[in-house]
Amino acid sequence: MKRKIDIYLKKNIGKSATSSEYRKSILLEGEADSWSKIISAGKYAAKFGYKGVINKISLKGFSEDYISKPDFTDGKFNNYNTDVLIIGGGIIGCSIARELSKYNINILLIDKESDVAYHTSSRNDGMIHPGLVPKPGTKKAVYNVRGNYLWEKISEELDIELHRTGSVITYDKKFLNIIKPFLKMRADKNGVPIEFLNKDEVLKYEPFSSDDIVGGIRLPTAGIVSPYKATVAYAENAAVNGVVFGFNTFAEKINTVNGEIISVETNRGKILPKTVINAAGVYSDIIAQMAGDMFFSIHPRKGQIAILDKKYGNSLYSILSRPNLNFHSDTKGGGLVKTVEGNILVGPSAEEIPYREDYSTDYKTIISMISKHEKALNRINKNQIITYFSGIRAANYEEDFIIEKSDYIKNLIHAAGIQSPGIASAPAVSEEIEKLTVEVLSVYKEVKRKDKWINRRFSSPQPLKLSIKDRGNLILKNPDYGKIICRCEEISRGEIIDALKSPLEISDLDSVKRRTRTGMGRCQGGFCTPLVMQIISEFKNEPLNSVTKKGHTSFILGEKTKEFTGDDLNEKV
Amino acid sequence: MKKYDVIVVGGGPAGLAAAISSSENAKTLLIEREHRLGGILKQCIHDGFGIIKFGEKLSGPEYAEKYKDMVKGKNIDIITDSFITDIKKNDKTFSVTVVNSSGISQYETYSVVLATGCRERTAKQVFINGERPAGIYTAGTAQYFTNILGYLPGKDCVILGSGDIGLIMARRLTLEGANVKGVFEAKSEPSGLMRNIVQCLEDYDIPLELSTTVSRVFGKERVEAVETVRVDKNMNYIPGTEKVVKADTLILSVGLIPENEIAEKLGISTDIKTKGPFVDNSLMSVNVPGIFCCGNALHVNDLVDYVSESGETAGKNAALYKNTNRKLTKIIISDEFMYCVPQYINYETDEKNIIFYIRVKNNCNNVRIIIKNERDEIVYSRKYIIMRPPEMERLVINKELFKNTSFINISLENGDDNI
Repeated sequence: MKRKIDIYLKKNIGKSATSSEYRKSILLEGEADSWSKIISAGKYAAKFGYKGVINKISLKGFSEDYISKPDFTDGKFNNYNTDVLIIGGGIIGCSIARELSKYNINILLIDKESDVAYHTSSRNDGMIHPGLVPKPGTKKAVYNVRGNYLWEKISEELDIELHRTGSVITYDKKFLNIIKPFLKMRADKNGVPIEFLNKDEVLKYEPFSSDDIVGGIRLPTAGIVSPYKATVAYAENAAVNGVVFGFNTFAEKINTVNGEIISVETNRGKILPKTVINAAGVYSDIIAQMAGDMFFSIHPRKGQIAILDKKYGNSLYSILSRPNLNFHSDTKGGGLVKTVEGNILVGPSAEEIPYREDYSTDYKTIISMISKHEKALNRINKNQIITYFSGIRAANYEEDFIIEKSDYIKNLIHAAGIQSPGIASAPAVSEEIEKLTVEVLSVYKEVKRKDKWINRRFSSPQPLKLSIKDRGNLILKNPDYGKIICRCEEISRGEIIDALKSPLEISDLDSVKRRTRTGMGRCQGGFCTPLVMQIISEFKNEPLNSVTKKGHTSFILGEKTKEFTGDDLNEKV
Repeated sequence: MKKYDVIVVGGGPAGLAAAISSSENAKTLLIEREHRLGGILKQCIHDGFGIIKFGEKLSGPEYAEKYKDMVKGKNIDIITDSFITDIKKNDKTFSVTVVNSSGISQYETYSVVLATGCRERTAKQVFINGERPAGIYTAGTAQYFTNILGYLPGKDCVILGSGDIGLIMARRLTLEGANVKGVFEAKSEPSGLMRNIVQCLEDYDIPLELSTTVSRVFGKERVEAVETVRVDKNMNYIPGTEKVVKADTLILSVGLIPENEIAEKLGISTDIKTKGPFVDNSLMSVNVPGIFCCGNALHVNDLVDYVSESGETAGKNAALYKNTNRKLTKIIISDEFMYCVPQYINYETDEKNIIFYIRVKNNCNNVRIIIKNERDEIVYSRKYIIMRPPEMERLVINKELFKNTSFINISLENGDDNI
């Protein structure tokens, strides 16, 4: 096996490239002149049944990758004892924190950012995949299907919107006939309900689907959540149950003795955990390596998504795609998703990149996605775009989730390599990690369920979604719900204050945005940004120019211009 | 449910003028979503407002104050901090649902004047890509930061777009001590008024680079630099002309979009050229009678004086509105024009004159605007030495000239011809 890999490396990367077996994995080393060659080498090596591919082939001339991280140090967590330390505040880390909060144990979740759901968990389309795509027998298939089922209960307990719309995939005839038996077989193996539709049936579900199709399939269990609101909901419920959230906390070093983690050094001091859960997303391979358990590599895969104005949202009811017969197209997969708020999302793309936090977007990709997906829904066009964004999938070369106890480090558990369908799988992943953690932790202490665990969380009011009567009554109780701050999304001052008062301490513009959607509408915060900043500044009792866009040093304002003498010019919010 | 004859939506310069003229003949309610009246004028502390209307150069707040004083003397109900969440058409009236801190109220009215202004095009709408740091603002937001909040948006600023607010902000930021590294404009001609190019850029030695746009943003936490690139006539980037400009702030003045989400809720048809409703000379929607529109919600004006003028027209006609059948004469414009407001003429109105607001697409020298009736007879012509897209032309023409024609044609011809 190794011989074949070596031949491949010599031929495709160069003489310097070598492979070596490391524990149960294969380690690739050397230097290559293009990123795509490095990815291809990793993919090739993944075919031979090793536990993992550790791809250390470096890119010629590549300067160090940027990591957004806190720019200060303090002693907040110095010599901090905790039963469980979760590294990573994405939906995986937060859902694990919530599930573990039902036990009589101390839990600390750390994240290098100023809030949860800062990276991939807020940078995806929120789809609750039905589970048809993953290969039968993979962890992805198992956790996706189970997670999809669990979302019903979770969305109710956490009071978040789940739209179980189903998804429709349309085909021209040729394609459908080739693929139909294969799809049916896979759906049965994975346990996913599937319906085959003729053209009229497709048009019943999606009346504006382009009419040059002949039929399609429908996956009735597909659904949509707001991925950032779901992550926040998990985190808030965890916090209410005693989980401590350490934001702006960056894991720098993991110290082990005899195959056991004894401390994790951060910019805020040395944490002393009994068990560590690696939920670090695109950095999960680095955390694993820090702990002395190197067995996989993350290769960041970017996805760009365009958001269309809500007012064109009524041309789509659920999730729609029309696969491309051209497998060499550079925007593989993706489709159209109607968010719970009513916008249509177009995308995502899939691009292998060397950077783990490169959220840049480019015109060519955005436009090519629009032209690709308007074949499924003619009514969309590029003038309907209000904004676009990108997220990074934490893909490993095995292209499967890593949900297991470490083979080499006694008190380390991995929830790693979680990429799409990560949101869909989260409730099932956390269910499994809960079991594993209890097993591991039981070696150190007795783990018992709490007498009182609060499994319900209630969202703060969303006046826009209430009836006129209920909305009126709400405003009578608190007039702030009647003061509209974000005019595009119709968000009131009351909702912003609720977000600031929520169980997680937040203070930047994007954190408020993730909870309330201020600035997410068609003017993209042009009108509400200064108003939200004023509310934050008042609430925190800190100067306006200390407010940041997204934590760290992302300050929105510069110096003061001058002092006002009259208060007449002070705009009241 | 309270009843009114006219509800004016928006308390900026258009809405204030509309409410004043409407209140002469009708019971009028003015609804404003912000705390104070005056609209965007509140933050426009530069001068140049009111030259036509008041014969003097006023600052934005001064201009607004004049109107606010006029409003005080009239019988107008005003609610501020109030946001319209819904509007519905009934048989003969409209119901308007309003939310504010005292709850939800509903009003019934015979006619509505939409004076909702406009919003700014965003970075994403002009396809600026790259990273997503703090430090990218539309010119209006930067103006709010500077003039209302009293904070500079940053130190080293690059301005994309030569729209008027961008030019004004270039001067304003320079005066406050920021370093404006340049104004970049993708078109080959500036988008703002000539007087602003001179008074805001040239007087302060701020470079203006035409046929150049910002293609990328660099910076993780805060903007660190932008990439500029020259573009050809078709707005395609010219490879090899990329330059990196260090800056901590990118300010965008890349166009305004009339805010017509309320109009859309009512199914009002809008002109893709103006992005405002199709209206007749009373500024009433052509397909939803009883709805009037004025100011920047109707089309983006260059001078506030014209905004107030259209408000006055809309308010007056809204007050006199009776649901009778109209016979509309279509105005057809030739390709040289960007748009013309109104798009239709209703001959059966009280006014003696019709006011046309018209813009050309490109700079033209020595031209003549020609208006013809259905019999191809020239009913009006006017010569211009120069016409520029940023400068709107206003024509006041006797209505009698448009009698007995089912359409009129407006075209642009060479100014040398003797007619």
